[in-house]
Amino acid sequence: MAEATPVQMFHMEEKRRQYRRAGSYLKICVLALFILVPFLFPSFKTVDLAVQIIIFGALVASFDILLGYTGILSFGHGMFFGMGAYCMAFLLGKYGMPSYSNLVFGFMVAAAASAILAMLISFLTLRVKAIFFAMITLAIAELAIVLATKLSGLTGGEDGISFMMPGIFSVAFSTGNFMGIEITGKIITYYFILLSCLGLFLMMLRFTHSPLGRVLQAIRDNTQRAEALGNRTFVYQSISITFGCVMAALIGCLYAMWMEYVNPESSLGVMTIMLDVLLMVIIGGMGTLYGGIIGAAFLKITQTFLPDLQSLAKDLFPEAVLLHNILERWLLLFGILFILVVIFFPKGVIGSVKDRGPRKKNVP
Amino acid sequence: MAETIFKRWSQELTLAGAGILFLLPLFEIQPKTYLTLTIAGLAMGMLLFLVASGVSIIFGLMDVLNFAHGALFAWGAYVGFSVFQLLMKWVEADSVLKNFAVFLMAMAAAMIAVAVLGIILERVVVRRVYGNHLFQILITFGATIVLVELIRVFWGPNDEVMIVPHTFSRNWDIMDVVISKYRIICIFLGAIVYGVIQLILKKTKLGTIVRAGVEDRDMVQAMGHNIYLLFTGVFAAGAGLAALGGVAMSIFSLQVYPDMGGTYLLFAFIVVIIGGLGSVTGSLVGALIVGLSYNYVAYLVPWAAAGVNVLIMIIILLIRPTGLFQAGK
Repeated sequence: MAEATPVQMFHMEEKRRQYRRAGSYLKICVLALFILVPFLFPSFKTVDLAVQIIIFGALVASFDILLGYTGILSFGHGMFFGMGAYCMAFLLGKYGMPSYSNLVFGFMVAAAASAILAMLISFLTLRVKAIFFAMITLAIAELAIVLATKLSGLTGGEDGISFMMPGIFSVAFSTGNFMGIEITGKIITYYFILLSCLGLFLMMLRFTHSPLGRVLQAIRDNTQRAEALGNRTFVYQSISITFGCVMAALIGCLYAMWMEYVNPESSLGVMTIMLDVLLMVIIGGMGTLYGGIIGAAFLKITQTFLPDLQSLAKDLFPEAVLLHNILERWLLLFGILFILVVIFFPKGVIGSVKDRGPRKKNVP
Repeated sequence: MAETIFKRWSQELTLAGAGILFLLPLFEIQPKTYLTLTIAGLAMGMLLFLVASGVSIIFGLMDVLNFAHGALFAWGAYVGFSVFQLLMKWVEADSVLKNFAVFLMAMAAAMIAVAVLGIILERVVVRRVYGNHLFQILITFGATIVLVELIRVFWGPNDEVMIVPHTFSRNWDIMDVVISKYRIICIFLGAIVYGVIQLILKKTKLGTIVRAGVEDRDMVQAMGHNIYLLFTGVFAAGAGLAALGGVAMSIFSLQVYPDMGGTYLLFAFIVVIIGGLGSVTGSLVGALIVGLSYNYVAYLVPWAAAGVNVLIMIIILLIRPTGLFQAGK
């Protein structure tokens, strides 16, 4: 066997080092935790929380491809998410019926429709200025909400659409007990969502670590230089935007599978979904992909246990009106946190930890 | 031959074309209704101009896309609302003078309060992220969250019915055409503000420095002007304009609610994209286009009203990506 080249040596060294890092074990632990959630905490509330974290973690990762890896802020990411959810609802509910073929078809239609729309928007806006993307996606996302609400004949309007899942995914399905809990359609859907999101996440990881992803980071850091090196920035940025938006649409399909219901407010909303996603990506860290999971877990857990916290505060400190008011307006605290993180920790939790790592090693 | 005609008269031709385009709805709408709609559209356009011009000037000079502009707008509306609440007697009085006095006081209070808020915002938050568009958008979006939540803390989370001074809620009836007084006031207000801005920009030294700053910031700094002080001032002025727009718009739409900034910020963005970022005249023209077309389409095809503005914006982006007017004009 010939001597390994320096690059191969580097890769081998990287691979060997992988088993020594705490990070890789942490990832496996988190995955194991999500696998065991239905067995450890069988209550619906916990499983629902776990699904929210999984779905929003993946959604934030797909948003991060645009924001952290391409340097483009899109306010239309929630719209693509909602597009996926609505595709599912149309095919399984309003214009179709629950069947496996319609389920697969729903994923395909969502991917195709979002790809076309994302490409159109990127062609329209990127030739002017990258910041136009934020303004125009905001306008188009608002338009999508208005259309979904006003064209109630087509989309079900404010009331939304509820639908049933086919076969083994349906609520009524059950295969009997396993390890003390009943394996219902919901549990199977949970594992389907977990597996799909894991697959999508690995795909995004692969995308960002590919040569294409490296070019994207070069464009983000210095557009002119990347252009001078002979990269067609416009093409790369469009590819990245389209990829991120297709991912968002597919995750939207999964979200619809879990909720079995879509409406404009919860699936398309700029101020509902986009706000959450932005908070998550900033808190977790831009340009890391993994940060999304931390941000999603932090925000979703806070949101879920906030009512408990509020009643707890009322029981423990009935006099502290200020505390109650602050808990009532928790978004205010999150907004301040958001600004502080952008100013002082622009890389978020993961980025800051990563920066800390190598510096420690250098200290003798 | 034809080419030279097009070249020589290009501006006049464009204007004529635009004029014909806005007369087109006459085929479908009764002339009297058309007149009412046109006045409503002009009034709405003037109010949108108040919001959009701030976004446009701030971007032109400071290269900052201010997403918090909508929240400042909502703050203006709420401050005006509070002034009306405090001076309820004057609002309900049946005298034009008192009504106008309270209207002017509400606008002044809103402008001053929000300008101070703008100064704080610029000094504390926006200043840290000059030169980085992405972080500017993120940080001003964060500021929006905080400002809107503060509105909810101070004024409560519910929608409120706006208090309207007595005189303003009346109509004139001229030859069977119903004209609301307040719409005429809005049109005058917008025209006056446009005139004042143009006067300041064109005739004063400060305006010259601002215009020079839009062209080349570094050069202005090199000439010995404190550009950061100028930034703060322009940001405060933009915030004041947003507040003015907030008061005027809340009387127009008869309600105030914490999230109201988002809706109008969106309109403002569409306006500045159509008119050209950094141009005051562009904001005016863009705002009138948006206001008029919104009203015509809302009358003809109600569900398409929100879409027509986005459509116009897309067409403008396709044929003239930098907007109708150049920055600094």
